[in-house]
Amino acid sequence: MEKSTEELEPLFDYSRVQPFNFESLDDDDSDSSPNLTPKRKKLSNSSEEKNENVTQVIDFKENEEEDWLPPPPKLSVDVQNQLGEDSTLKQLRLKKQELLLFAQSAKDVLRTVEESAKREHGSSLQSSIESVASQPSKPPCERAKIVISIQDKDGLKQFRIYMDDKFERLFKMYADKLKLDLKSLIFCFDGDKISPTATPDELGMEDNDIVEVHIKSS
Amino acid sequence: MSGGIARGRLAEERKAWRKNHPHGFVAKPETGPDGSVNLMVWHCTIPGKAGTDWEGGYFPLTLHFSEDYPSKPPKCKFPQGFFHPNVYPSGTVCLSILNEDSGWRPAITVKQILVGIQDLLDQPNPADPAQTDGYQLFIQEPAEYKRRVRQQAKQYPPLV
Repeated sequence: MEKSTEELEPLFDYSRVQPFNFESLDDDDSDSSPNLTPKRKKLSNSSEEKNENVTQVIDFKENEEEDWLPPPPKLSVDVQNQLGEDSTLKQLRLKKQELLLFAQSAKDVLRTVEESAKREHGSSLQSSIESVASQPSKPPCERAKIVISIQDKDGLKQFRIYMDDKFERLFKMYADKLKLDLKSLIFCFDGDKISPTATPDELGMEDNDIVEVHIKSS
Repeated sequence: MSGGIARGRLAEERKAWRKNHPHGFVAKPETGPDGSVNLMVWHCTIPGKAGTDWEGGYFPLTLHFSEDYPSKPPKCKFPQGFFHPNVYPSGTVCLSILNEDSGWRPAITVKQILVGIQDLLDQPNPADPAQTDGYQLFIQEPAEYKRRVRQQAKQYPPLV
């Protein structure tokens, strides 16, 4: 009965509380040396030795964490256990090196693929530009659109055109819609006359920007 | 600090103006030769109201904002020697809503300023004269005043 209670307590306390429980931990973890530590305790009650032991264990734990080991089932200063864990450590280290090598080779492969892709892209860029230029209406989703408000004395009407559309298209749309003579209309943005060959993009226009239309008096 | 407030407000004013402004008006911040924008100075155009002697004129107005805007109003200037009873010889507009000690409120927008000045063109305030020429003709020789106003409107035809 005594033993079992002793076993339970340290499990909870070990990570937080210091030397004390450390010894109980030994009891609890290493089946082979339950009697060894209590003896030590009796022999040397100096806190120095305890401290040494503690640091040892802590270091051990840290090393394990650095090596990405799964949390150990047991923590102990037991020599046999240490040896056993060392061998698994070695195995894991080897595994890690293997993985590193594998990762390295994977990186190399990736780099070569990237380089070759770049080369291919560079050579195909020219042709792709040409194809886009020859078929400008084919990829509609790539062209940015803009909503422009055309304002006359009576109010606003909104039109949606492409950012790289020439204004003449918008002007014609507007004149047709209002049944006006395109020649009698002047379109302005920020007080400046808009050239029919300009585009919204060139004038730095944003959605809902206002184009004012004036009707020539003469 | 206050400069940041002024510029922030002016950027908002400009944004709002681009989306909505009265027909014929222009209001845009000054652009330097290098393309840089100066939000503190705006170049504007006020159209003469239709049906008045001012119709057909597109009058250039410059707004000078200080770092204290919108606590303080902008200075609004027509060209030097502009003919109007409430415009100083320097071109500065004299209007209650543009007076820090009188009608100015920080909530007044650029649009309200410009529309307010458009109203002032045809409705001068004889109680607050700023130039002798315009004031005396307005009071004493209405016909001559009218002629001068129409003449001035022709001096400022639409830019486009």
